[in-house]
Formats: sequence, C-alpha cells, structure tokens
Amino acid sequence: MHRFEAKVALDGVSLAVEAGEIRALLGPNGAGKTTLLRILAGLVFPTAGHIRIGGLDPSANPLALRRRVGLIPAGDRSFYLRLSGFENLVFFGRLHGMRRKRAAARAGELLARVGLAEAGHRRVNAYSHGMQKRLSVARALLIDPAVLLVDEATHDLDPEGARRVRTLVQEIAGTGAAVIWATQRVEEVRGFVDGVTLLHEGRVRFAGSVADFLAHSVPQRYLLRVRNGRVRRELKPALQQALAGLGAIEAVGDPKAESYLLALAEGAVLGDAIASLSRADFKVIACREERSEIEDAFLEFTKPSGEISP
Amino acid sequence: MSAVAATESSRFSVVAGEIAKLPAFIRRDFLVAWSYRASFFSDWFGLLFGALMFYFVGRMVDPSALPSYGGTRAGYMEFVSIGVALGAFIALALRRVAAAVRGEQLMGTLESVLLTPTSPATIQIGSVVYDLLYIPIRTGLFLLFIGIAFGLHFEVGGVLPATLALLVFIPFVWGLGVASAGATLTFRGGSAGIGAGVTLLTIGSGAFFPLQLLPSWIATVAEYNPMTLALEGMRRAIIGGEGWSAVAPKLMLLAPMSAASLAGGILVFRLAMRRERRRGTLGMY
Repeated sequence: MHRFEAKVALDGVSLAVEAGEIRALLGPNGAGKTTLLRILAGLVFPTAGHIRIGGLDPSANPLALRRRVGLIPAGDRSFYLRLSGFENLVFFGRLHGMRRKRAAARAGELLARVGLAEAGHRRVNAYSHGMQKRLSVARALLIDPAVLLVDEATHDLDPEGARRVRTLVQEIAGTGAAVIWATQRVEEVRGFVDGVTLLHEGRVRFAGSVADFLAHSVPQRYLLRVRNGRVRRELKPALQQALAGLGAIEAVGDPKAESYLLALAEGAVLGDAIASLSRADFKVIACREERSEIEDAFLEFTKPSGEISP
Repeated sequence: MSAVAATESSRFSVVAGEIAKLPAFIRRDFLVAWSYRASFFSDWFGLLFGALMFYFVGRMVDPSALPSYGGTRAGYMEFVSIGVALGAFIALALRRVAAAVRGEQLMGTLESVLLTPTSPATIQIGSVVYDLLYIPIRTGLFLLFIGIAFGLHFEVGGVLPATLALLVFIPFVWGLGVASAGATLTFRGGSAGIGAGVTLLTIGSGAFFPLQLLPSWIATVAEYNPMTLALEGMRRAIIGGEGWSAVAPKLMLLAPMSAASLAGGILVFRLAMRRERRRGTLGMY
C-alpha cells in the first residue's frame, strides 16, 4: 500500500510477472501505475506491504535491486541535456560500476542497437522525443536487466517511434527479462503484451490474459453518415426498421450532418448491418469505429466502483 | 577470523568501487561547465574586475589602520585580496553545493542517478566534487594572478599552511551547502537564505575591512566566525609568513566547527531525502 498524505495511491495491489513476459499495466491517469513502478524501482518507499523482485526486497537491498532492475521513465527529463547521448550512457555505465573503457564500449554498442549510432555524439537537447526514448531504452540495457519497468514510453511518440520502442522492448523480453509496461494507450495491448493488469483508483480491477480482457468488451459502435433524400426526422425510425434487429441507431449532432451512431447487437457484424441499410435504399457515405473494443473494455473496468458488468 | 577478514575485504572493495565512480561525476560536471563557455570565462572576468576595483579603493585606505602579520604591515590590496578570494570561494561553493542536488531534481536526473547502484553518500559527494576541486584551484590561481599583476608581496612559504587552512574550512562550507540542499529538497525553494547567510558570514569575518572597525562586542563574537579563523590563518601564513605554528591554533578551533557543520549538513540532507522518498515526491519540482 502507498499513501500520499490522506490519499491512498495503491491498495492491495498484487502483481506477479514471469521472466520473458510483457505485462501491460493499464489504467487511466491517477490510477497508481507510476507510483507502483517507482516503488518497484526503489524510488518510493511503500507505506505498508512487501515487494520481492527476483527474491530481493527493494527496501532491504536497494543497491542489489538496482543491478537487476531497469526503468524507462515517462517524459524526457532524465538525461543531462548538455551532454551527448554517448557521454550520458558512459556516465550512467560508470555509476553501474563499469570502468570507463568498458562503459564507452557498451555505450557504443547500445547506441547502435537502438539506432542512435549517428546521433550518439550530439547533445541530448538536440534529440527528438523518440530519440530520447530510445536513449532511455539504451540506458536501461546497460545492465541487461532481469526486470524492465517501462512508464508511458510511447505516449508522446509518433506511430513509427512508438513501434520502434515496442520492438526494442520485445527484444529485451526475448532475452528473458520480465517487463512491466505501464500505459494508458489501450490499443497497445493487442499483439504486444502477454497479460494485462488494470489499475483503477489504486486497486487491481482486472488481471489476466489479453483474450480475457477483450471478453469484457461491450458492443461495438460506429459513426455513420447516411443519406437517402428524406428529411431527417423521418430517417431514424426508417433506419431502425431497416437494421432489422442488427443494432440500435441514434441521431448525433447537427441534423444536416446526417450522422448516426450505430451500436451493433451482440453477435452482429458491421457488414450485415450496412448491407441491410443498403437494401432499404439508404446510402452509407462514411463509416468509422467510434471507439475500439479494447477501449470499451478499458472503460468498463474503470467505471466507478460497483458498476462493472458481470 | 577469516569471515571477519572477508567482510572487511568486501567492505573495502565496496568503498573502492564507490570512490572509482567519482571521476565520472567530475567529467560530467566539467563537460557541462565547459558547454557554458561564456559563463565560464565571465566568472573569471568578474573576479578580476572586482580585484581592480579594490585596487583603487585601497589607494584611499590608510595603511596604519590595517593589522600587521608577523611584524609585516599589510597593504590594503594584500589584505583584501585574500578576503575577496575566500569570500568568492564561500559564495560560489555554498551556492553550487546547495544547488547541485536541486539542479538534478529540476532536470529530472536525480532519480536516474538514484536508480543506479550508487550509495547516497557517493551521490552527495559526487554532486559537488568537481566544484570542491575547481573552486580552490580557482582561488589559488586568482591569488597568483593578482599577486603578479599588482606586485603584491606574498610569502611563498605560507602557501602550504594557507592551503591547509582552506582545506579545513571546506567541510564547514560543504556542511552548510548540504544542509541548504536538504532544505531545498523539502521546501523546493530556500536558496534565498544562502545569499543572506554568505553576506553575514563575510561581513563578520573581516574579509574586506579589519574587525576592529566593528563595535567591540561584535568584533569579539566575529573572532569565532569560522570564516574569520580561516582568513586569519591564511593571512598570517601568506602575508606574515608566520608558518605552521601561527596557523595551527586557528585550525584547532576551526576543525571541530567544520566537522560539526558537515555532520549536521549530512544528517539534514539524509532526513530530507528519506522524507521525499517516503512521500513519493522526490521527482516533483
């Protein structure tokens, strides 16, 4: 458990991650993800409870723990901006006990591995967000960590930058590191992580596989633009009738925009619904998913207490 | 017995490993300081222009109002140059020691350093070791330069005792700086008190004028100001050439004050660090 003065930041959180596993730590802002990672890294002392990382208690063996745990922090404020990426890595390598020559060789290897060999001798203040994040990955790899903690590594990256960071982390997990990947980008869960733990208001609201997590998704919703020449107030009943039980439809926004929200019934698929509308002489001129099913699962778990569907 | 020897050997290797990290801090801070070259050189110009100002002020001062050291009556420039050097030393050292940890906190690098297997004592020492090496060198070079430029008479034989006086004074400044760093970690501000403290210490030390000019009771108290003790020791050695015997009594008084300041400062800093980690606010600024 951890308290910030009167507020309980984490309460009864239990989390076990195996070697080689990537576990997503999902949760909205303020859920307690960063606090949990900082406790695991030994930066914050828990008010109560206990933690074991590879059998080590962070509060009893802080230095031994730091030889085994790597952290990729959120944000960019973790490097000496007036130094080059190479000099930063050499400095942190030396604090990990390497001699200068060894630290320099390791820094060179890691810069090449994260794709920063060319930029290694430029000052970090000239790096983009994505480059700084890759430099963070390189720093975490200085020690070949048994446990890698990643805090919101992709939240300010473009899709390509985010993909590169995820690939690097997958490679690290491939070497046997246990990875905890804290994020609020729920779409990252599918195809990347092995398991999900969802925190909300400092408590675990879900822990299990990605498939189990997605099983909690609610019916999918799509935003449609529909036209058939009739005036709008007559359109909704006609659309509902045309759907023939495949979903429910609601008008959205400005009547002239001809926008409708389609909530598919359980088991119904989008193609059948659109085909049904077309047969009834409606022209669907635009269609987009309003929110992903993963986001729905996320929102389902982060509803106020007591509202979770069975 | 062999278990005890093994434990001591292991302890020694841990300490040696920690000491081996200090050059990394020195290199880091040198590279950062060198990356601000304009600031690096303007610091020197400021010091030299200050010395020039005191040269002209000194031409108005009656030498008979100045104390004598080892039978030698000091000129004002000789008298004040040591005061200026030590005053600049304390101002710079105190500001940098106090600001070092805060700077790391603001940059976000403090947590990155704390994530490495480095002891808190090494982090404390490492954050100031560059300044604690650079600032005495700067002080020595300053005295050498103005000694040559203004034709001042300094006793070469007094350099070693004066250096020792400076070395004994360093832990006093360091202790104040570390305590201030602890206060800054806790209250996020607090460096404003440093300027006032430095001014008070400097005025009450006889750095720029003889203590006899102060009201008598203040002059009596000021004789026990650690900065006064260091200054007197340095002046007796460098101006009067009085050697070790004249400097030793000052250092005997100064040493326990320095030890108390350093111990108190480290205690305050550790309490502040522990409080921040317990509250989870170490990275906040």
